[in-house]
Order: sequence, then structure tokens, then C-alpha cells
Amino acid sequence: MDTLFASLSVILAGGMIALLFAKQFTLMKAATIITTSAGCLIGLADSLSLLLSNNTEVIEKSWDWLHLFTLAFKVDSITLFFLVPIFTISPLALFYSFHYMGDGAKATRTAVNYFFFAILVASMALVVTAANTITFLLAWELMSLSSFFLVVFDYQVQENRQAGYLYFIFAQGGAMLLFAAFAILYKYTGNFDFSTFHTIPESAKLLVFILAFLGFGSKAGIFPLHIWLPKAHPAAPSHISAIMSGVMIKMGIYGIFRMYLLLDAATPLIGQIVLVTGIVTGILGVVYALGKQDIKQLLAYSSVENIGIILIGMGIGMVGISTKNQAMAFFGFAGALLHVFNHSIFKSLLFMGAGSVLHKAKTKNIDQLGGLMKRMPLTGKTFLAGSVAISGLPPFSGFIGEFLIYYGAFHGISNCRVCLILAVLAIVALAVIGGLAAACFTKVTGLAFLGEPRTENAANAKESGFSMTLIMIFMAITCLVIGVLPEPFIRLAFAGINDISSVSGYDTREFMIIVRHISQTAAFFIGLVLLLTMLRKLLYMKKEIGSGGTWGCGFTQPTVRMQYTGTSYAAEMIGFFRPFILIKNTYSGITKIFPGKTTWESEVEDVSEKNLHLCLVEPLLKGMNKFHWIQHGKIHFYIAYIVVAIITLLFFL
Amino acid sequence: MESIFSFCFAVLIAPFLPVVIQKVKAFFAGKQGPPLLLNYYTLIKLLRKGSVYSTSTSFVFRMGPIIGCATSMMMLLFFPLAGAAPIFSFHGDVIILFYLMGLGRFFTILAALDTASPFEGMGAAREAFFSTLAEAAVFGILVLFFRLTGSLSFAEFFTGNNIINLIGAHTALLILVIVALYIVMLTENSRVPVDDPATHLELTMIHEVMILDHSGPDLALIELGAWFKLLFYSSFLAKIIDPFQLQNFWLNCLCFYAFVLFIYITIGTVESVTARYKMNMVPKFILTPFALVFFAIIFTMELIK
Repeated sequence: MDTLFASLSVILAGGMIALLFAKQFTLMKAATIITTSAGCLIGLADSLSLLLSNNTEVIEKSWDWLHLFTLAFKVDSITLFFLVPIFTISPLALFYSFHYMGDGAKATRTAVNYFFFAILVASMALVVTAANTITFLLAWELMSLSSFFLVVFDYQVQENRQAGYLYFIFAQGGAMLLFAAFAILYKYTGNFDFSTFHTIPESAKLLVFILAFLGFGSKAGIFPLHIWLPKAHPAAPSHISAIMSGVMIKMGIYGIFRMYLLLDAATPLIGQIVLVTGIVTGILGVVYALGKQDIKQLLAYSSVENIGIILIGMGIGMVGISTKNQAMAFFGFAGALLHVFNHSIFKSLLFMGAGSVLHKAKTKNIDQLGGLMKRMPLTGKTFLAGSVAISGLPPFSGFIGEFLIYYGAFHGISNCRVCLILAVLAIVALAVIGGLAAACFTKVTGLAFLGEPRTENAANAKESGFSMTLIMIFMAITCLVIGVLPEPFIRLAFAGINDISSVSGYDTREFMIIVRHISQTAAFFIGLVLLLTMLRKLLYMKKEIGSGGTWGCGFTQPTVRMQYTGTSYAAEMIGFFRPFILIKNTYSGITKIFPGKTTWESEVEDVSEKNLHLCLVEPLLKGMNKFHWIQHGKIHFYIAYIVVAIITLLFFL
Repeated sequence: MESIFSFCFAVLIAPFLPVVIQKVKAFFAGKQGPPLLLNYYTLIKLLRKGSVYSTSTSFVFRMGPIIGCATSMMMLLFFPLAGAAPIFSFHGDVIILFYLMGLGRFFTILAALDTASPFEGMGAAREAFFSTLAEAAVFGILVLFFRLTGSLSFAEFFTGNNIINLIGAHTALLILVIVALYIVMLTENSRVPVDDPATHLELTMIHEVMILDHSGPDLALIELGAWFKLLFYSSFLAKIIDPFQLQNFWLNCLCFYAFVLFIYITIGTVESVTARYKMNMVPKFILTPFALVFFAIIFTMELIK
């Protein structure tokens, strides 16, 4: 634990260095990146060694704070597992930012950005190590606030400010629900300690869990509380999107998981709620991702989808526990954790690719890109690898996590009716999500990176700087390695759930044989592809290879604008999911005999955003407007309010 | 040894079988039909040719056929063809195999989009959509088979004492499965009434339009992949229907291929007597197998205790 705190101090020192050397731009970047990354690597080494040592001993530490509160920390296997992506992705994102944050004119702002980055990393580490309410909420708020400042980096743009405010509202709204949940817990237990939570009456547990689920869910991005994600990610710099989407939203998952384990409730309803939410989140997340043309928005929705997959895994695990099905519980939880890790890698990779595209082609809109594979080959190839991985296709990493969840779900197929239906729904949902994700990422890769450039900017794009491409290459290779040699990573996930008493001790030897087979199959498949590639080379030897325009079915004057667009590619698929997705078409129509300029526009609207606005925000604003007279700007009245409020509270409490 | 023999035999015979479909269609149309070895001639012709590549394409375009063909071959490697055990097999292989098929599709779609052709883009969009719907039915079938046999591999479905067979214990359920799998087969292999491999208008195609720009050995690989895939699906159906579990490998082989041939003949018949659906009808058609399988799963609640 001391090593962990030492690493956090180094990380924070890295943040301070950024502020101190703000004037020397390049030096500041290099110094802060190296220091913060060094801190992360210390933390990573420490947590990995603890996790893999199979040490079941739980480490605790606590301090008094402000004479009133105790700051308590505890490290168990789940904590350690979540520390791994935090400490892995952060240095990668930092190295990527070296060339990404290249605007010397914004030196001070960049320095502040690095400072908050360090705080974000440290606070995330504290969130997963916190062992009582005070510590947890303190770290949680620190995490939300620092990430808010990271999002509004380009605060001059009005859209970015709005996105930042929306994120802020969701972060604080979610935190309010968490406060409510912890308040109920405090009322029953009388102390802040996490370890006493399971003592509260069974009837209160469900309420507490639902409050916490919504609170954590708004951070994780469960449907319909995901609205901030597709707004905040396009606004934030790409390495910030990477760390937020890859790691920070998983803190919501951690919270849900932790709360579930702490409450130890007997009701099967919790697992069912989580599973069904996961299915809805997963399917609708990927459908909306398909509907979006802004790469970063699309990736944000795809994060929603992956949160859905993780929740499906977690829900399978919870249903498994409530039905005493150990295999189901074990593989559900392990799959969810492994997907947390895998997703943190390929989603960061994809956001970094999107950032690289945005930097060089000056747009995030798929319908204005194209042909980037030839102009930015490294970004293109790594993005392709990330796309295959996130679609859950072998031999890349995404498949492994999904396979564990499938395996758990198949073990849930038994005579118990509810779990049969739930398991079937989970399996079919995973299959549909997989198919739609493949459609979604063939759309991004196929339309943004392949074909012909649709605009001047895309045609003139060049490859990004080495700090960006190197990191992306490293991550793409990692995705492939996890897919082909999954064993150590699966062991890592198994080690992560080691401290859950109801599933620990499950015999994994049988499963490890399957894992070895998967590994062999993946390797064999790659071998087969290489063999066919050589065969193809042989067949093309000494043959005439011509080149010409694409066959346009006889049309002789093709233009790049005739290519299929992202909108048209997805139209049929998203149309199928109406009314869960709103498609707004505006057509100017043809009115005159000699038609003038006609326009047709198609836009996908988020049904939850619209309804939230209609049912919650508008009535709330209307009601609040009635109390406008309270706010008049006279300070002495405000002081009177405070006094009155304190006196009333003293009387009533 | 038998496994390797039956795999090689399947690879060799795969190009022959689709001609059967064409022959049946010719019979219905009152024509003579193509020569029986047509596809071998096509293959040789294509392999001897060079290629013309579109200037829009990148390496992804060249990867498409290779990965498509490799994934189809993987299916045959893992499937218990004829009476023999498959070359590879392990508990859980069905999941990775159907996902590998997804990988093949992923690269076929990308190769199509790489040409910057609006027609190929359209075909790609349809392929992505329809195969997603079919995927739901496929995994429904896997769930049902797991419920019936407790196994997750092609080999285990058809060996041991609890096998999946039409004349076994679960005839009623398997009839639903066979219909569902048949529709999935038509969808995945771009047959009528989902797609028409013989159509001449690019706008109405799905699979054929995606490979418009491929030529020479690349096209040969694509065709081989398509033949393997069709053979895999019809073998799957044939294995469920084939009631004979003979001791003699050769007789088993004969029975198995008789049933495979039967499936091909039915495909030809279906193509002769039905027209393809309008595009907006296709999703409803593809959702039918999922509904059937889901029913079958619900029936198991009472049937299996």
C-alpha cells in the first residue's frame, strides 16, 4: 500500500511540474509526461505483483482527517484489478498527448490540463481503494471535477462549454443519488465503514442498490443516463476522451460492482435489473453509434454499448450467485472484468486514432473523410485493428472477454425458468450487439479510411507525429496479443475476482484447456491466412496486374461524392430500431416547375435526451422560474436566508 | 486419417455441388443446364488470369478474399463431415467459429467499401444488416442445442449418446430448427428469396455486387469461400436430418453426401419456384428463424426436465 501511495505522490508531483514549468512548453510536456508516467508505472508494477501473487491478504490503512473523519483505504483483488487499466492507459494517453497537444500558444492551458490529468489519475486510484463513505465520495468528487476541467479544454467554443456543463450536471446529479444511497446506509449502520453495509435490513438493500446503480450508472453511461457521453467526448481532447472512455467510466462499473458485493443482498432482482439494463444499454448504444457520423460521438456511443456488454457479464454473474450457479457467476464476473480491461485498451486506441484523424484531416465527420488508409497508413492500420477488436471478432482481444461472458451465460441455461430466459436473452443480445458493432465499425473504417477522400482536407491529410503513432501501434499489437495468447490476461481477470467469497475456489483447469484451444485456433487461423496470402502471391507471380478506375456499372463520369455515405450505410439498420431511435428528416421539397436548390437532411436524435428534456428539464425550469424572486442579488437578504435556514434546522433536528 | 480424408474430400467436392442447384433450376426452366464440372473450369480459368485493381483500393481490398476464404475453411475444419470426427474440435468451438465467420464478413464488407463504389457500398450495408439478424437466430440455435446436449462444439452435437438427430428424442423441436437453419442458410449464402445470385441488375444484389471489382485469383478465393460456406451450412442440416449411424465409414459418407445433395436440390427447387423478396421484406423473413428457435427454446422448458 505504501508503494501505491508513493506512486500517487509521484503522479501528483508530475502534475505540479506542469504548473511550475508552464512557460517552457516542450520541457513542461516532457517533464510532466515522464514524471506522471513513472508514477503510473510504479503503481502498475505494484498492483500487478500483488494481484498475481495470489495473496488473499487484504491490506488496509486509515488516517484521521479534520479530527472528524477517518480516511480509510483497503486493497483487495477487485481494487487491484481496476488499478491495472488506470495505470496502464494513463501513461499511454500521456505519451500520445506529446504531439497531440502541440499548440504552443496554449501553453498555460496545456499545463493546467496536465495538472488536472494527474489529479484525475490519482483520484481514480483513490476511488477504487477507498474503504469508507467519506473517502470514497471525496475521491469520487475529485474525479468528477478534474475530468470536468479536462473536458472544457477548448472552452472558447460554445458547444464545448455546453458539453462541459451537461457533464457537470450528470456528474453531480449522479453524485446526489450516491449521497442519498450512502445516507440511507449511514442511517442504518451509524458509521461510514464499508464493511458494515451488509448488516442493513434486506428491505432497504434494494432501494440502496437502485439509488447507487443510477448514481454510478450516470457515470458509466447506462441507458438512458448516457447523454453526456456523446457530448463530452467530442468536446474533450482525444487523449482525454481516451482516458475518460477507456478508464473513468469504468469507475461507475467498479461502483456498481463494489456496492453489490458490499450489500450482499439475497434478492434476485438486483441481478435481473443489472442484466436487463445491460441488454438495453448494449443494443441501443450500438444502434445510436451506427446512426452518428461524428467519429468521436460514434465512439462515445460505442462506449455505452461496451458498458452494456460489461453489465451483461456482471448481471450474468449476479444471477449466477442468486441461483447458486457457481460456473455462471464465475465466468460472468470474470468476463465483465476482462472486458473492462480489453475495452480500456481498444477504446483508447480508437479515440487516439480519431484524434489523429481530427488533427490531420480537420474534421471528425465520416461523410467528409475517406481514403485515409493511404494518407495515414499507421493510423489507418491501427484503427482497423482496434475496429476488429471492438467488434469482438477473433483473433483480437474483444472476443476473449465476450467469450467468457458467453460461457457464463451458457452455463445459466438450466431448468430454472427465469434464468433460462435471462441467459437466452443475454446470449442473443450479445450476438446482435456483436453483429451491429461489426456493422458500425465497418462503417467507420470503410468510409473514413477506405475509398476516396470526400473533401480537400481529407485528401491532404498526412501521418501524425511519432509519439502518437507509436502508442497506437503498441496498443494495436496488445489487442492482437491478448486475442492470440489470452491465458495470462484471463488469469488476471480470475485473480481479480479472487476475493469474492461466493465464487472463489472455482476449478478453472477445465476452462484453461478451452482457453489453450482458443489460442491454438487463433494461431492456426493466422497461419491459414498467411498460407493463403503466400499462395495468392504465388498465383500472381509473373502475371499482368493492371489498375484502373472502379467499375461504375457503365457510368463514365463518377465523382467521389457518389460514394456511399455513413448516413446511407446505416439508414436501413437504424430504421429497423424505430421508435427507440428518432430519425428526423427534413426535405425542402420541389415546388417550382424549374426546381431551385433543394436540400435533404437526416439527423438521428437521442430518444432519451429528448424525453429527459421534455419530461424533466422543462417542467423543472418552469417550476424553478416561479422562485425567481428569491434570487435578487441583495447580500444581506441572503445572509438572512442562511440564518433562518440554520435556526429552522436546529429546531427540527 | 478419416478426418483428413473427409476434409479433403469436402474441399474437393464443394465446387461441384452448387452446379447441382443450377442443374435443378435448368430442369425447372426446361433447359439443359451447365456442364457438371463448370465450377472447376471457372476456378482454373480464374487462377490463370491476372487482375485489374481499382486505383481507389488499398491492401484491405486484397485481404478481403483471403480472410473470407480462410474463415470458411475453418468451418469445414471444425465440422464433423460425413461420419468422421472433425480435424479440430473443443468445447466452445461453435462460438469462435461463428465469430470467425463474422470476421470474414467484416473484411468482405471492408473490401467492398474500399472500392469507393456506391453499388458496393449498398451491398455492404445490406450484408451487414441481414447477417446481424441471422446471427440472432444462429445463437438461438446454439442455445437450443446446448439445452439438448449440454455441449458447445459441432463434434459433440453429433457424437455420444445424446445426439442431435431428427429421429432422436426431440423431433418436434428439431423440425423448427431445420426450418430456421434453412432460412439462415439461404440468407448467409445469398440465395433466393433473400438475394439472387443470378440477377443482372447491380442495384438488387447483395453479395454479388460486393465482389464486382475482384478478378482473377482473388475472385477464385471468394468463390471458393462461398462454396465452402454453403457446404458447411448444408452439412449442418444434413447432419441433423441424416438418421443413419453406420459402422462403415464409407457407407456413412455416402449417406451423408446423399443428404447434402438433397439439401442442394431443395435449394434449387426453392430458387425455381419462388421469386426474391422486395428488400424491405427481407428483414421480416430473416427474423422468422429467430422466432421459430425462440419458440423451440420455450418448449424445452416443459419437454426437458
